[in-house]
Amino acid sequence: MQKPKISIYDFTDCEGCQIKLIALKEKFLILGKRVDIVNWRLGQENNESGPFDISIIEGAPITQYEIDLLKKLRKESKVLIGLGSCATLGGIPGIIDKAQRKKWYKKIYGDNYRPRGVDALPLSAYVKVDFLIHGCPINENEVIQAMEDLLAGKEPKYCDYSVCFECKQANNPCRLLDNFPCLGPIIQGGCNAICISGGSPCYGCFGLREDAEKKNLIKILEKITDQKEIDRYFSMFLNKVNK
Amino acid sequence: MNEFIAKIEGHGNLTIDWEKNQVKLNIHEGERLFEGLLVGRTAEEMYWITPRICGICPIAHNLASLAAVEDALGIKVNSTTILLRDLMQCGQMIQSHALHLFFLSLPDYLGIDRGTELAQKNPEAFKSALALKGISDEIAEIIAGRSVHPTRTTIGGFHKIPFKSVLEKLLNKLKKTEKDAKNALELVSKIDFPELKVELQLAAQDNGLIIAVSSNNIKGRKESSIRNYKEVIEEEVRDYSTAKFGKYRGEEMLVGSLARLAVYGDYDKKYEIDFGNPFHNNLAQAIEILTYHQKAQKIIEQLLDTGMDKKVIKSSKNSSFKGIGATEAPRGGLYHEVHLDKDNIITHANIITPTVQNLTSIEKSANALLKQTKNRSKKEIERLLVMLVRAYDPCITCSVH
Repeated sequence: MQKPKISIYDFTDCEGCQIKLIALKEKFLILGKRVDIVNWRLGQENNESGPFDISIIEGAPITQYEIDLLKKLRKESKVLIGLGSCATLGGIPGIIDKAQRKKWYKKIYGDNYRPRGVDALPLSAYVKVDFLIHGCPINENEVIQAMEDLLAGKEPKYCDYSVCFECKQANNPCRLLDNFPCLGPIIQGGCNAICISGGSPCYGCFGLREDAEKKNLIKILEKITDQKEIDRYFSMFLNKVNK
Repeated sequence: MNEFIAKIEGHGNLTIDWEKNQVKLNIHEGERLFEGLLVGRTAEEMYWITPRICGICPIAHNLASLAAVEDALGIKVNSTTILLRDLMQCGQMIQSHALHLFFLSLPDYLGIDRGTELAQKNPEAFKSALALKGISDEIAEIIAGRSVHPTRTTIGGFHKIPFKSVLEKLLNKLKKTEKDAKNALELVSKIDFPELKVELQLAAQDNGLIIAVSSNNIKGRKESSIRNYKEVIEEEVRDYSTAKFGKYRGEEMLVGSLARLAVYGDYDKKYEIDFGNPFHNNLAQAIEILTYHQKAQKIIEQLLDTGMDKKVIKSSKNSSFKGIGATEAPRGGLYHEVHLDKDNIITHANIITPTVQNLTSIEKSANALLKQTKNRSKKEIERLLVMLVRAYDPCITCSVH
C-alpha cells in the first residue's frame, strides 16, 4: 500500500513548533516510516508539489503570498492541519490589530517602505481547517496522537478537559485562589499545564475550550486585577479569535 | 516567485546577476512587528513575548529581554541566577548548532538530502546528533522549564530553580554525551569546505563590549561599548527585503560562531580555521558544541559546589526605566532595548538580531564566490551559493521580527 503523502509548510512564525517535531527524535523517525514526507522546506531539499493526503501548516498567513498559498494547499490537501498557536489562533503576531500595522511599518521601517503583511490571522480566517494542534509551542505528543488517529482512519479528537485538570494533576497551587490572573479554566488542556508548572501564567495558547465559561472567569479576574491586565491576558494569544 | 531556499530558518531566495557578478538575498518573511506589539505590554510580558521571535533561539531572546528589563529597573541578579542563565545559554548553543549542523548544513557536505538519511549513511554520527539534541533540550527543560520558549525565568531570577539531585543527574548525562560532542567535531573537521576568501568585520560581545576584528587580521581589535550598539551596528532598509540589513560602522560584518572564535581565540589551534572563509562557520559551530558542552559541566559543578540561592531580586529605587540587554545568541550578538513608564509598561522597544548583521556579509560573500569560482556550470555555482547561505546558518525568522 502506498504511504500517505504528507507536506509540512510554514508561514510567518518562529518555527518553534517544527523544532518540537524534531525534538521527538526517535518517535519522529518511527512516524516518518509510516508516511512519506514529500514536501518540507525546513527539513529537505527534494520537495514535490501536491496533491497531498495530509498538509500540516505552521505559522500565520500574514503576506498575500501566504494567503494565496494557503488557499492552494487547501485545494490540494485531503486533510489540512494547523500546527501551533500562530496557525490555530493568530498567536503572538495577532497581538497587532490590522489598523495599527500602518503606524508600526512607518516607525520601524520608515516612510518609503512597501509592506508585505496584510494582517496576522489564523488559517481558519481563510480556509476550512480540519484539525487544530494548538500551543505556543505545541505539545509534540499531540502530533503523534493526531497522526496515529488519522493513519488509523479515525478523526482526531480534542482534549475534553481544561488546563485546570492537568494543573491539578501536576500538583500546582491554584493561581486564581492565590489571587494571580490565569486563563486555565476556559482553555483547552493538552499542554500538561507546563507554563503554570514553571511558575508562569496561562495566557491561553491552547485556545478556548468548548463551552468555555468566559464570562464567569472574567468575574473572578475582575476581583483579582484591573481591566487593562484582563485585556492583556485575552490579547496575548487570543486577540484574533476572541471577538 | 522563485522557490524559497530549503533547510534554512525562514523564507528567502537569491537573485543572481551573472553579468555583474552580483547576488541579492531577497527576504520574504511576513512582518510581525514585535517592536510595535511590545508597546503597551508590561516588562514581565517582554521576556515572555520575545522568545516567540525565534523557536530556534528562544532562550537567547528570553535572556536578552530579561537583561534589558533588569537594566531598566536597576536590578543586579545574584550569582546563582547568573550561573543558571549561563547554563541555559550553553544548552541553547548546543541545541541550535546541533540542529543546524546535522539537519540543515551537513547534508550538503555528505551528499544527502535530509538529516534523517544520516541514520543509514552514518548511524554513529546520527546517534551522536540525537544525543546532542537530547541533552541540550534537557538542559533547557530542566533550567528554563521547556525546550522551546522558557517558563521558569523571571525578572530578577527564576520562578523555580532545579533540585540538586536533578542537576547531579544532568551532570552525569553530560559526562556520558561528551563523546558525542567530540564525534560531531571529528566528523565536521574532516569536511573539505569549498574555497572562498572574503574580507569581513567579525564581531562578538565580550564583557560589555562589542569587539570587531578583520577577517584579514584577527589581531587588530576594535572595541565599542554595547551601550552604543545602535551607532556600531547600522541598519538599513532595502526594497527587496522585509528584514533590515546591518553593517559594522559601514562595513559588512559577520557574527556567530566563526566571529566568536576569532575574537575569543579559545579553541584548539589544531583546527585550521580560515576566518576569511564563511564556510568555516560550520567547523566553528562544531568546535563550539564541544566548548559549551564542557562549559555546561563546569557550571553545574560550580552550582553543586557553592549551593544555590533562589532569591529573586526586586527592582531598585533608582531605576532609569531605560535598559539595554545583550547576549551572544547561537548566530551572534543579540540586542534588546526597552523603555518603561513608571508602571512598568513598555513605551519603546528596539531589537537587533544576529541575522540582520549577517545579511550584508552573506551578499558580499556570495558576490565573492561568483567572482572566485571558475570553470563551473551555472547550476553548480547556484548550488554552492545556496550552500554558502546555509553555512551562515541564517535565521530569517529572527531577522524579520
